[in-house]
Amino acid sequence: MNDGRRSQLLVGGAIIAAVALVGIYLVAGGASYTPAKTQDPCKHRTWRDPEGLQQIAEQFTLSALDGAACQLGVSRETLARALATPEARERFTERYDISDDKLARAVRAGLLRAVDDAEEAGALNPLLAAPLRETLRSIPLDQAIELINNAESLLDDVQGFLGPAQSFLEQFLP
Amino acid sequence: MGAEAPRPRVAALALAVGLVLADSSIVVLALPEIYRELDTSVAGVSWVLVSFNLVMALAAVPAAHLARRVGPGRSAAVGLAVFAGAGLACGIADQLSTLLAARCVQALGGALAVTAVLELLPATVGSERRAAAIWATAGATGAALGPAVGGLLTELVSWQSIFLIQVPIALVAAVPIFAVARQEAATGVLSTELRQTGRPHLLANLALALVSAAIAGALFLLVLLLIEGWRLTPIGAAIVVSVMPLAALLGSRLDGLVRSARARAAAGAILVSGGLGGLALLPKAEVALTLPPQVMIGIGLALVLSALTETALSGRAPQAIHGGWTISARHAGVVIGILAVTPIFTHDIAEQRHDAIDAGTAVILDSRVPPLLKLDLAQKIESRLDQEKGKVPTIGPAFEPLPDDPEERDEVVQLRDELQEQLNRGATHAFSPSFGLAALIGLLSLIPIGLARRIEL
Repeated sequence: MNDGRRSQLLVGGAIIAAVALVGIYLVAGGASYTPAKTQDPCKHRTWRDPEGLQQIAEQFTLSALDGAACQLGVSRETLARALATPEARERFTERYDISDDKLARAVRAGLLRAVDDAEEAGALNPLLAAPLRETLRSIPLDQAIELINNAESLLDDVQGFLGPAQSFLEQFLP
Repeated sequence: MGAEAPRPRVAALALAVGLVLADSSIVVLALPEIYRELDTSVAGVSWVLVSFNLVMALAAVPAAHLARRVGPGRSAAVGLAVFAGAGLACGIADQLSTLLAARCVQALGGALAVTAVLELLPATVGSERRAAAIWATAGATGAALGPAVGGLLTELVSWQSIFLIQVPIALVAAVPIFAVARQEAATGVLSTELRQTGRPHLLANLALALVSAAIAGALFLLVLLLIEGWRLTPIGAAIVVSVMPLAALLGSRLDGLVRSARARAAAGAILVSGGLGGLALLPKAEVALTLPPQVMIGIGLALVLSALTETALSGRAPQAIHGGWTISARHAGVVIGILAVTPIFTHDIAEQRHDAIDAGTAVILDSRVPPLLKLDLAQKIESRLDQEKGKVPTIGPAFEPLPDDPEERDEVVQLRDELQEQLNRGATHAFSPSFGLAALIGLLSLIPIGLARRIEL
């Protein structure tokens, strides 16, 4: 075999190998990756089997996060992590240029949406929903933030946000 | 002198070239460690590579001229001494600025040594062609072995040891060269024949620069993907990237089968670009999937670098000056490659990381684990993100301790794996555009290689 033929074989072989590798990786899904998208927090999410106080409280928190995130124009997931610690909250407000007032208003709006969702899901009696809305509308801003921020107190002790309405809540649970 | 060439001197000269050219890539695997220890940014740490290569690119040709003026023996001896001294300074540097300054000085010494050696080798081995072959092989071997050696040293000792170990090696390589330097000083006559310089081979050097940019981008990105993206240890990453030099050894065997340098250069550039294309399209975050592209890049780089260096030096004199041009082109290419890909992937990795973390948090919030546990996990993930300051985090510790209840434990383990998968795929995907760009740069080298078929400069 002369050198010209060997040169052609070498270059041809290189082209075939390169195209084959790229083709195989493409077929195997190399170009198909897109990160799993988070849902739009402004879209309504149906509550999932709210059974028992703990489950209701969980769905309530998630609805409140959705409502607040929708107001702030961020994802529910970003807000959930942002409210995990005071430092995280500070980084979040700096990054998105959000004042504490704006954050608190959004959190309060989120809590009100959670009450609406709970009522719609049949998890909260309408008789209780009205006074609860009133409580949340007048809740101090810091307390509103704390309500979402401190999930443990929310889940362990509904007294933390329902105040005197707790006994009603338990009474009216379906 | 050729047949009876003193082996220790030839070995010392080859060692000097290999050592200096290994230095352009030896720190690649140590970069993540330097990045953490000196508390800098990805862009900042990339200058540990860039500074060395930039100074080499700028200094190689002037250094070659200097070697011809003052004598290659003296030039090589001084170069190696400066290289060793600056290596010591790199090893004890505790600030990025000090390290970068020492790296620049190291490159100056390296440029002097490596170009002077090309002037010394023909007289030592008796043939310019053989000298060029030894010089190119020593350089390619050093550059190929550099990352793996650097990774091993970083893992087993420290990143500083990479530089400190170079000091005695440089001095050992310098011993036989000191004899030549003394001879030059005694006679006061240059041992090399002064000949017409001639113009550098523009197309071969341009192609060398482009291919080197692609290869540097590949190596730099692959190491960062393995260590920062997939969180391999430096030694693990060293083992993975050692596939490339091993494949390069295989590629160098093909050199003898085809005489046409243009065909070898074209085939090599295509293989390098194809391999980079594969890395840009990794279907999963799995180490095994990096191996076929690495084999392709390794074979390709052996073919293309030797063919282009051979073309650039062929029939041109003096060798040191033209060798200086090839060194300059290769290192300029490395600088271009790293500077081109760094801003793209640092931006992409930050974005992908955010999306992946959001997606992972969504998985947790929507999961069936107890509410208190899921909110606790979201908090711990935030803490991990805070601790790892902008890097792709290892998320496992956020899930410790695992719940005692077997059912709950299975749920949590599944969540952890899902989140880590999201992060790994996000990190992998963040590197894709940069690998794609490096592949494109590699393909661009086919233009000067193709033009060289018709235009002989």
